[in-house]
Amino acid sequence: MTVAAGVGYVLIALGPALSLFASVIAKKPFLILTLLSSTLFWLISLIILAGAWRAFLPVKSTELWPYSILILTSVGFQEGIRIGFWRLFKKMEDMLNAFADRVSKPRLFLTDKMQLALAGGLGHGLAHAVFFCLSLLTPAFGPATFYVDKCPSIPFFLISAIIALGFVIIHTFSMVIAFNGYTEGKRKDQIFVPFAHLIAALITLINLVPGGCNIGLPLLCIMAGTTLYYNWQLVWRRLTEHQTTRSSD
Amino acid sequence: MDDRSTDSDPVTAGESSILDTLGEDVIRIVSPVSLCMLLVVLLVSSVSSTNDLSSSISSLFLSSTTTPTSFSSLNLLLLGSDSTWEEIKSALVTALSFVVVVTLLTFLLVLLFYFRCTNFLRIYMGISSLFVLSFLGGFISLLLISHFKIPIDPFTFAILLFNLSVVGVFAVFMPKFPISMNQGYLVAIGVLTAYWFTMLPEWTTWALLIAMSLYDLAAVLLPIGPLRLLVELAMSRNEEIPALVYEARPVDPQPGDRVRVWRERTDVRIEATENSTNSATVQTVQETRLAVSEEITAPLIEAFPQTGDRHLGTEEEEDGIGLGSSGAIKLGLGDFIFYSVLVGRAAMYDYMTVYACYLAIMAGLGVTLLLLAVYRKALPALPVSIMLGVVFYLLTRVLLEVFVVQCSSNLLMF
Repeated sequence: MTVAAGVGYVLIALGPALSLFASVIAKKPFLILTLLSSTLFWLISLIILAGAWRAFLPVKSTELWPYSILILTSVGFQEGIRIGFWRLFKKMEDMLNAFADRVSKPRLFLTDKMQLALAGGLGHGLAHAVFFCLSLLTPAFGPATFYVDKCPSIPFFLISAIIALGFVIIHTFSMVIAFNGYTEGKRKDQIFVPFAHLIAALITLINLVPGGCNIGLPLLCIMAGTTLYYNWQLVWRRLTEHQTTRSSD
Repeated sequence: MDDRSTDSDPVTAGESSILDTLGEDVIRIVSPVSLCMLLVVLLVSSVSSTNDLSSSISSLFLSSTTTPTSFSSLNLLLLGSDSTWEEIKSALVTALSFVVVVTLLTFLLVLLFYFRCTNFLRIYMGISSLFVLSFLGGFISLLLISHFKIPIDPFTFAILLFNLSVVGVFAVFMPKFPISMNQGYLVAIGVLTAYWFTMLPEWTTWALLIAMSLYDLAAVLLPIGPLRLLVELAMSRNEEIPALVYEARPVDPQPGDRVRVWRERTDVRIEATENSTNSATVQTVQETRLAVSEEITAPLIEAFPQTGDRHLGTEEEEDGIGLGSSGAIKLGLGDFIFYSVLVGRAAMYDYMTVYACYLAIMAGLGVTLLLLAVYRKALPALPVSIMLGVVFYLLTRVLLEVFVVQCSSNLLMF
């Protein structure tokens, strides 16, 4: 539906991500590198999943259960990878601290670590938006639009853009929550992230039902908002705790 | 906007963390490479060059060339055949002949450098960049003008083209030119040459990329490799190799910057191969192109021999990692070109392959820089990235696309 519509869909999916990038990440070169590597990680996990599922695709049935197995395995795999990602993050943190000691600069601050987690999460979210939404947007730059059978009220591109937006937010901030949870050892945070991811993915299953996207999309946005709120509370708490411990030194 | 002295953390205002400046070097080389790739993808997708176009161009040049070389007849054969096996065979033959020509020319370059014909090489480099900017730039501008129906008259076009080409030659040729113009024109030359290469038939492009990366690996690491000889010659004389090299220096020099002479390999060969594939062009242009490719080579080395004696833990070593230092990484233009050719060819299939190949190439570049920091000797910049790019292209095309389309068309995402 013309270049304007195509660009509009891109901005719907990636608007918050771009503003996060411009305001936080573009200023520190290392964060850009973290973003690129976490995008690569997500892509590799997606390729592994696609390889594992290749034999069973395309799923011809319209029933729910093959898709739910697909979703469950994918989400489970990605959450497992997140723990591996955290281990790598710890190693990188140690290397950075050692480097900081060598050049006699201060070690990583709490905000640095959170920014690294944010960059990692944004990389994941960006990868999701790019591969699930942007790569399919090419026809949107042309003269027509496309509607899926199950959802005749909203153009396909708009639905995928909004879902991508929801997932960008969820991926970005669940990484911050997860890293904080693993660092502090708090069960609540550690459980929240896979849970939120799973619920969000299961919500998209609602889209399989005819007319389901009218319910699925708002629910997904609510889920994204919940993750955002949880992250906000967590970061606020940690920063105030950190400030009080430092000022009490 | 935060500057380096204030942190966003209110507790540590006034202290700067290492995260502020770490990785600056790498980003300063990643940005132009990404820009080059982006421009090539945009060019490819807007002025879609199909095989029909390349065949028509080749036939156009074939008819005007005075002495058709064996390559041109081979090209004609290439474009005439349709079956896949024929295409693969001709692609392999073309790629192989390319590599052979490039090897010979690189040895010629080593010989010329040995006999201290540096001026000759520099002038040759200037003339070849003039050719690339004016002929290729003119051709691609004409394509763009006809596609987007831009109203411009021939005289304005000629004046603009002439001016831009001449300034470009000065920008890459003269040492005291502003660095931002130098960098901009180098990226432009990379974009033009890479776009030209994407006009090759598909199998030929892939065969060429793989052959060039293998050649790269051999020429830099083997003891008899021409590039290695070139590096050792340059190091023993402590001279700069005349080449088209992108220097990732910051545009505004900050106080205390030291210009570390890290010379990264460029793909001299790549340029040479480009020339061979465009065998349809006139002999002189072919030579020029070859010269350009030769120019491009610049091995990945550390020019100051005394730094090799320093031990771990010194300032030099930290800078050696390439993180947070104020030196300049130099990447050869051939690397730019081949990365962009790979991404441009991926763009001809689908955008998903573009993103996957872009990430793969960036990963390869990162790995190469890491290896450089570890080994501290001349390293080829092509093989890792190209191999990763090809692998990811295949994986995306075979595995990922089906999976993602299946999920997205049912509006299932995770």
